[in-house]
Amino acid sequence: MTTVSWAGHRGGDAEVVRRSLAESERFSVIFDAYFAEIHRYVTQRLGPDSAEDVVAETFLTAFRKRARYDPSRASVRVWLYGIASNLIRRHHRTEVRTLRALGRHGPDPDFPGHEEEVSTQVSAQSLRPDIAAAVAELHQRDRDVLLLVALAELSHEEIAAALGIPYGTVGSRLNRARRKLRAALGDSNPMGGDHG
Amino acid sequence: MDELTRVRELYGEPKPDPVLKARVGALLEAEARRRLRRPWTAAVAGLAAAVATAAVIALPGGSPGVPGATPTLEPAGRSILLAAAVTAESGTVQAGAYWRVRKLVRQRYPEMLGEGGSRYWMVDRRISEQWVSRNGNVWAGAVSLGAEPAGPADREAWLQEGSPAEWPGHQVFTAPGPSTLAVVRGGVAFSMAGRPMTFAQIRSLPVDPVALRAHVAEIVSADEGVVADALSGLLWSKPSPPDVRAAAYRALADLPNVTYLGTQTDESGRAGAAFSFTLREPSGLVRRTLIIDTGSSQVISSTTDAAGVKNDRVELVLEAGWTNERPSAPHPPG
Repeated sequence: MTTVSWAGHRGGDAEVVRRSLAESERFSVIFDAYFAEIHRYVTQRLGPDSAEDVVAETFLTAFRKRARYDPSRASVRVWLYGIASNLIRRHHRTEVRTLRALGRHGPDPDFPGHEEEVSTQVSAQSLRPDIAAAVAELHQRDRDVLLLVALAELSHEEIAAALGIPYGTVGSRLNRARRKLRAALGDSNPMGGDHG
Repeated sequence: MDELTRVRELYGEPKPDPVLKARVGALLEAEARRRLRRPWTAAVAGLAAAVATAAVIALPGGSPGVPGATPTLEPAGRSILLAAAVTAESGTVQAGAYWRVRKLVRQRYPEMLGEGGSRYWMVDRRISEQWVSRNGNVWAGAVSLGAEPAGPADREAWLQEGSPAEWPGHQVFTAPGPSTLAVVRGGVAFSMAGRPMTFAQIRSLPVDPVALRAHVAEIVSADEGVVADALSGLLWSKPSPPDVRAAAYRALADLPNVTYLGTQTDESGRAGAAFSFTLREPSGLVRRTLIIDTGSSQVISSTTDAAGVKNDRVELVLEAGWTNERPSAPHPPG
């Protein structure tokens, strides 16, 4: 669901944000282009119920701070992930609770507020609770980097820009996170713990 | 399989949510307009208007309300709620293996459909059931009855377009869908303003109206509109014991912000006493209207009006109570 087709238009995005300063309705182009992707990422991390507020706040924050957006630092897409990451950080308990549910029951393809839309899904991954617990136990900083790689598929350079951290720090945080996950998988599954 | 793949599998792929997109889009629009400092009038239609100003809201079918003001419920409405409390109190604690709520939900699709000059609103209709076992397992049953035009003008425009049955890129279909039942994995059995609640927590709620209101206000930590909504949820969507339901009715009778609208009939023609209150949802201010069957003290319908949009969501309560039936996919009505 990543908006690959927009990759070629990042310069265009920056121009849209600049013009939206005078004509605020232009910002809807940014919203239309990135709502699905940001919604997906926030929903994955916080679950559908809490995602609602955070997704809304991400776009409202971006809109209010659009004068301070610096296209030389990050693409609009990466800037939005940075804002969302900041907001997600305030919901640590929700994230941990979401991870516990994911570990127990697997991903829930539910529409928020539409409990009737749930579909059954066979879930028999014995390692899932372990990996969920390991992700929950990561330091917030490391989890941000890990999930921007694994779920948002941002490059190291983009993550550095999104989180405002040095390029090298992205790699070291990612390595630390992956090491801990491998250890968690290895502990519960000695046969398959030493690859990757 | 490497650990990044396992992480991706763990999180899965959430479904897109066009309803939420429309809501957030409206918030953003409201923010854009607010920044322009355009003058606001009640004539500014749409969700966005009420969200951004919060100063004067004009909701359909009623006089403009001023949030923050504290109108008290008129004696007629108050006595109806207090009588309902007495009826509720005399109810018995029901037995049964499952708590089941069956409702007919009519939800307006958030975007206008159609091409060119003939744009129209469609309304999705579905039967929705929730089953909760005594140990807190949750099942969701649903059957779509198919979408239909929202009103006569919408029907006209839809007919003019050749009565399409579906629209590319939109999750709207006029044909009925299959009836399904699904286990809600990791589902929260009950919630109050988004906070999960268990059977035990509902059973142990205060039975004194003042204490109940204070307790609910603490749980929801929001304004009186949300408190009214949470209290009314105790009347029908949750397995509240009779004394808790009675306390909820009495607490509602004392809330500012609750208005009595007189006798109204719901969309299926059942008559009852209508009460409304405004509350702030993530999408902005909405007005919720409950119709209460005064004879049984049961809530029979819950209607949500967004600013400028009457009947944005209508829920007709078909059944709410304990049953020994086993969870099964719902039958269409009639």
